[in-house]
Amino acid sequence: MARGTAPASSSTASSWMQRPSVRWTALLLLLVVLVLAPLQLSEFTNQTLARIGVFAVAVLGLNVVMGYTGQVSLGQIFFLGLGAYVTAYGVTNGWNVVLTFALACLIPAVAGLLVALAAARLGGLAIAMVTVALPIVGVPLAKRLSDFTGGSEGMSTSFATSPPGSGLFDDQFQLYVVLVIGGIVFLLTRSLVRGKYGRAFAIVKGNEAVASSMGISPYRYKVLAFTIASLIGGVSGFLYMLVIQYTSPETMSFGHSINLVAAMVIGGSASIVGSILGGLYYVLVPQLTNAVDPSLTALLQGAILLVVLFLLPGGLVSLPRALTRGRRRSSAARGPAAPPTIPSSTTGSGTATEEKETERQGHA
Amino acid sequence: MNSHLRVRTAVRVVAGASALALMLAGCGGNSGNGGRSGDAAKGAPSPGITDTTLTLGITTPLSGATAGPGTCTVAGVKAYFGAKNAAGGVKFGDGKTRTVEIKALDDTYDPQKAKANYDQLKGDVFAMTAGLGTPTNRAWRQAAIADKVPQVLIMTGDPIFSDPKQSPWQLGFVPKYQNEGEAMGKLLATATGSHKVAILSQNDDYGKGYVEGFKSGIKGKDNISVVKELTYEATDTSVDAQITELASSGADVFFNAMSVTPLMISSLQKAQQLNWKPSWFLPSNTSSPGAILTPGGAAAYPGIYSVAFSKAPQSPAFAADPDVVEYLAALKQYGDYQDPPAFPHCQWSWMVGATLEQAFKKMTDPTRDSFMKALRSIKDYQAPLMLPDTSVNTSKDGQPAVSTVVVQKFNGKGYETVTEFK
Repeated sequence: MARGTAPASSSTASSWMQRPSVRWTALLLLLVVLVLAPLQLSEFTNQTLARIGVFAVAVLGLNVVMGYTGQVSLGQIFFLGLGAYVTAYGVTNGWNVVLTFALACLIPAVAGLLVALAAARLGGLAIAMVTVALPIVGVPLAKRLSDFTGGSEGMSTSFATSPPGSGLFDDQFQLYVVLVIGGIVFLLTRSLVRGKYGRAFAIVKGNEAVASSMGISPYRYKVLAFTIASLIGGVSGFLYMLVIQYTSPETMSFGHSINLVAAMVIGGSASIVGSILGGLYYVLVPQLTNAVDPSLTALLQGAILLVVLFLLPGGLVSLPRALTRGRRRSSAARGPAAPPTIPSSTTGSGTATEEKETERQGHA
Repeated sequence: MNSHLRVRTAVRVVAGASALALMLAGCGGNSGNGGRSGDAAKGAPSPGITDTTLTLGITTPLSGATAGPGTCTVAGVKAYFGAKNAAGGVKFGDGKTRTVEIKALDDTYDPQKAKANYDQLKGDVFAMTAGLGTPTNRAWRQAAIADKVPQVLIMTGDPIFSDPKQSPWQLGFVPKYQNEGEAMGKLLATATGSHKVAILSQNDDYGKGYVEGFKSGIKGKDNISVVKELTYEATDTSVDAQITELASSGADVFFNAMSVTPLMISSLQKAQQLNWKPSWFLPSNTSSPGAILTPGGAAAYPGIYSVAFSKAPQSPAFAADPDVVEYLAALKQYGDYQDPPAFPHCQWSWMVGATLEQAFKKMTDPTRDSFMKALRSIKDYQAPLMLPDTSVNTSKDGQPAVSTVVVQKFNGKGYETVTEFK
């Protein structure tokens, strides 16, 4: 079914790309590059890549709730901040790192669940209004609870020193940790949004009434998406602490939350690759504008944002499609603005129809 | 697609990749552990310095809400060394003459970006300096210690940067919040009549530091009593409620440790509406005559007191002062700052340049070590633009480079130094 939507004219080139052996080789190559690159690159490049990883994960979390499920969330930075604070507190008090990591995922997830239980009862943009409150409450809260958060002076911890005997520099070790944790989160999320939950999210996003009529509770799936987004936000907070090694109330400021939303839209809404591009945007554009003229960064960033939105409404991830649009006649189902709710390029998606059948029964 | 086959392929891919990774990790391993810096031979030049140039790095907010003072922190030091470079350069303690270049990056007051800027600069610059902001400087404090990169003469009143035990590679420039608060408290303590004091402070280390200093300044004075103390949050958009409550206390002195410009203006206006007219004590960064006192209608009050250590270039009293004339000309020509400076940070940054030059003159080796030793040995240096009775002292334990301030009273246009409270 999904294969059928692929353009008939997609001749040798794209079908060659679809071949499993080619895909696996490409994947293997990518893995090798990811493993080797940190050893060869400069310290600053590694640190930048690690930062991109941190914010790619944060954008990915936002994508789950906003891109895939269509619920506007302006509070993602709160969960990043919460994860960072939990990590900082755990490390400062000498907790086991694995336990700290688990808590840095769990506590934001629980917080997200509690917020979502209330917020998801509201319809449409009311959720956005509730999520706006999170960073606005978070900043003074972090200042007030100075016993846990260090107040407005923030908390510094450097716990990710490379293990003795590994022969790695700290920046290389940190990048590897980010790659491993971030990679796992990305793979899990990819499976999530491509499976039955992903399809449920897409239907909730598309039309809640239709979702209800199919036995998919919009409320439950909104809460689920929001909780997962918070959990992923917590993971990114852990990575934030690992790479940046400092958190303060400033981390949670509302402006950064808006920047995350902008990064998600620019990278590509409802897209796994788009989340990585969003992370790239979040980290690299300030560096780029700094290189052009440090006193005009805000202006230049605004200009870049507008240019991307005008030229690529589907985000950077739609760039290849936009480039080949002239040469290929894309079918209506795969228009650039249509979110790829049912991914058509996966090797395993041939079974999509049957899976949808079972899912419908499962929720009846 | 056969799922069996997929699993097998996946296993093979992962196995192959891990084997490769292990192999390569073994070959490509580095001998060193931890950070990459600090392995240079003793006495070898540090990064960012050659026989003819020295590069300084700055990360500071150049856009966003704090861009005004942030831009100043770059402009002053850029102007100072721009003028020096044009005159041939700075003569260093090792006998060589070098020009001093500035690399400044915008961090938008975001600690994360400040750390990124530091990571970007640290390999190319000799020292980091002049950056504004407590969280943005704290974000890379530990990294700077680990990398042994000087983070000196920065614009934050946070005491941690002036504690050599905790911060061996750091030194703050501006007075700590406590220094300022204490100076104001001591002035009030010179009063002979009895006074009732109301205190409003920002609920964070900034407000607490000021109040702590102020209270230690009036300690032991029975004729001065604190009748009411309230706080507000830095994120609050209005403090009308607090002002109303404080007004009802009948205090005749109001110590307002507030760092938010619009709130300060509205509190000056609100108190007038309530017909509450005490004498005000204000922190140095929210007492600008042009930006705060005039729009706030400060002329209605019997006295507005603040602290300072730099001459105000706008003040008619200093219009012909040679320091001020030279500074304003350089700021325009080399600092890319066309307007008359709206924030004292421009002047402070100029003094940072002068203080750095003192250290450069004393350092005997082109190393960061030698620079830090030289920087920590400056005594009673009267930097240009400094007010009488203030000086740069870098060897006082636990104190920033400038720890003395004088209290000044608003005279309708600018400030005048006063020695007693009337």
